[in-house]
Amino acid sequence: MKKNNLETGRSQARVVWPAHVPGVPQGGSKGKLERSVGLYAEGDKVKGTARRSTGIRPHDRNPIDPRSPNFSPP
Amino acid sequence: MQTTGLGKQQNLVEMAWDPVTRIIGNLGIYTKIDFENREVAECKSTSSIFRGYSVFMKGKDPRDAGFITSRICGICGDNHTTCANYAQNMAFGIKNPPLAEWMINLGEAAEYMFDHSIFQDNMVFVDFCERMVAETNPKLLARAESTPAPHAKIHGYDTIADIMRSFNPFTGKTYLEALQMTRLTREMFCLMEGRHVHPSTVYPGGVGTVASPQVFTDYLSRLVRYLDFAKKVVGMNDDVFDFFYEALPGYEKVGQRRIQLGCWGAFQDPDHCDYRYENMTSWGRKMFVTPGIVIDGELVTTDLVEINLGMRILLGSSYYDDWEEEEVFVAKDPLGNPVHRRHPWNQTTIPKPQKRNLANGPYSWVMSPRWYHEKTGEHLALDTGGGPLARLWVTALAGMVKTPFVRSTGHSVKITLPQSGTLGEMELEWKVPKWANTIERDRARAYYIAYSAAMALFFVEKAMERLRTGDVKTFQEFDVPDEAIGCGFHEAVRGVLSHHMVIKDRKIANYHPYPPTPWNASPRDSFGTPGPYEDAVQGCPIFEENGPENFKGIDIMRTVRSFDPCLPCGVHMYLGEGKVLHEVHSPMAGLGGA
Repeated sequence: MKKNNLETGRSQARVVWPAHVPGVPQGGSKGKLERSVGLYAEGDKVKGTARRSTGIRPHDRNPIDPRSPNFSPP
Repeated sequence: MQTTGLGKQQNLVEMAWDPVTRIIGNLGIYTKIDFENREVAECKSTSSIFRGYSVFMKGKDPRDAGFITSRICGICGDNHTTCANYAQNMAFGIKNPPLAEWMINLGEAAEYMFDHSIFQDNMVFVDFCERMVAETNPKLLARAESTPAPHAKIHGYDTIADIMRSFNPFTGKTYLEALQMTRLTREMFCLMEGRHVHPSTVYPGGVGTVASPQVFTDYLSRLVRYLDFAKKVVGMNDDVFDFFYEALPGYEKVGQRRIQLGCWGAFQDPDHCDYRYENMTSWGRKMFVTPGIVIDGELVTTDLVEINLGMRILLGSSYYDDWEEEEVFVAKDPLGNPVHRRHPWNQTTIPKPQKRNLANGPYSWVMSPRWYHEKTGEHLALDTGGGPLARLWVTALAGMVKTPFVRSTGHSVKITLPQSGTLGEMELEWKVPKWANTIERDRARAYYIAYSAAMALFFVEKAMERLRTGDVKTFQEFDVPDEAIGCGFHEAVRGVLSHHMVIKDRKIANYHPYPPTPWNASPRDSFGTPGPYEDAVQGCPIFEENGPENFKGIDIMRTVRSFDPCLPCGVHMYLGEGKVLHEVHSPMAGLGGA
């Protein structure tokens, strides 16, 4: 096959189309933040809750401060 | 050896290095040397590899651009990922959250420290090591043995020859320490960008790295260990390079060319950068390495829009058909300025493989990127000075960078490195040099290592500040638009890097990455202007003491390597039609190139 002055063999792969089709949820698409547990928006910031840091739902465990710890442990 | 009488009074000897070693191996340097006058009369640089990224990127998902273009390079791939993401942010109309921007800056700073260190200490220094100098300039080595090193108290080597011995591959102390340091900097990089050299956690809209105090303290503890090394490296470089100027009068002419330096800027400031093309001039000037162009020592612009519009991709000696009849993708930029036919946004790559014709035909796969200077009407063959020279030069003259550890003064860059393991606080000052030559390109690299380390300290502080307010946002959501254009400007380790993208039907319609080496290694363009390597080597005086029989071409190789060419393994030296010398340079074996 001759294309663009280059002699190439028969293609062994199909053209790669975009991996996502509209309607299928994507990792980075809008609305992701609302669906993420342990994160909440506050102004232009996104804050992490104890659930993000530890994976534990703090309100089930009667915490002293319901927001702590609010950033990730080491 | 073949001697050809090309000039009337000259006896020229053809000499070629193809491939050039200790770099990625497809760069060939073909020269004609006038041994009587000890000068290089003519030089052509060729590349025998075709990649075709601009051809096969078409039709791909734009979000994949960063992951695919990262594979352009095996040592600075992350620069491509970052640049591709800058271009996508512009096209998608989003900006990275501040914390993500600081993390990308931290990753890129670690990359500069890693790459400059491995290239300078493990590859460039082989050209300046005791074993090499003993072979090429024995008299110089004899003098180095008796010359005390001015910075001996910092680096611990009493004489210049002691420093040169520490550069010896595999056995020298500096060579071995540099390898340890490159491990450290790679770890720093991975903390931020997931994997070296093809990042796994850097995307358009931010990073996937989970921001925690631990990740920044892990980075910082490694950085502080690196600071000792950075302080010593600058002193060693200054001592050796100053010695060369002093011991070999006229050495400033080696690799010297007209000052035509380009820098596209690095390290975004999240407080100002919104990735909108309309505001590119202002946020470009807020970058922590200022973008700009220096011609004949004068700063002609720091405006990224002007830089963008001046880009021209010329042919002339490259194996491609012209794209004059092909589609124009972007007739006007978002500000309404006309975009030239030969601008990367409008380029169509049509490869035309053919035989190499060094005499008067095409001889390279590299095209000839040039910058059109509107005031003078020149198509300038800008070079990057190996990266650091242009970055420091522009930043110094522009006087726009003011951070706690790095300050631009208008004529120099002051870098303050705080106390570290064994050495106290130190202030370093890189001053604008008189020439753009081999030595200054190499010297700037050492200073830029310190610059990156100092900047990284600042970025860690900024990131921690953000984290203390409880902000953990590292990612901005977005949807891919049906149609959009974008461009990204960044500094790959060895110089200017731009990515130009056009999206149609949510797919890539046109994509052109322009890394530093097409600028530096470009062949003669349609106006006959030689590329920077050719220009720097042509007229280069020869200081090597060897004659044509055992000529190593050390001054030419130092010049080419000073540009940090990104094009490995065994010098294949061809001397005219007679003698072919094969020398395996073990320092590079298995390292996999730059």
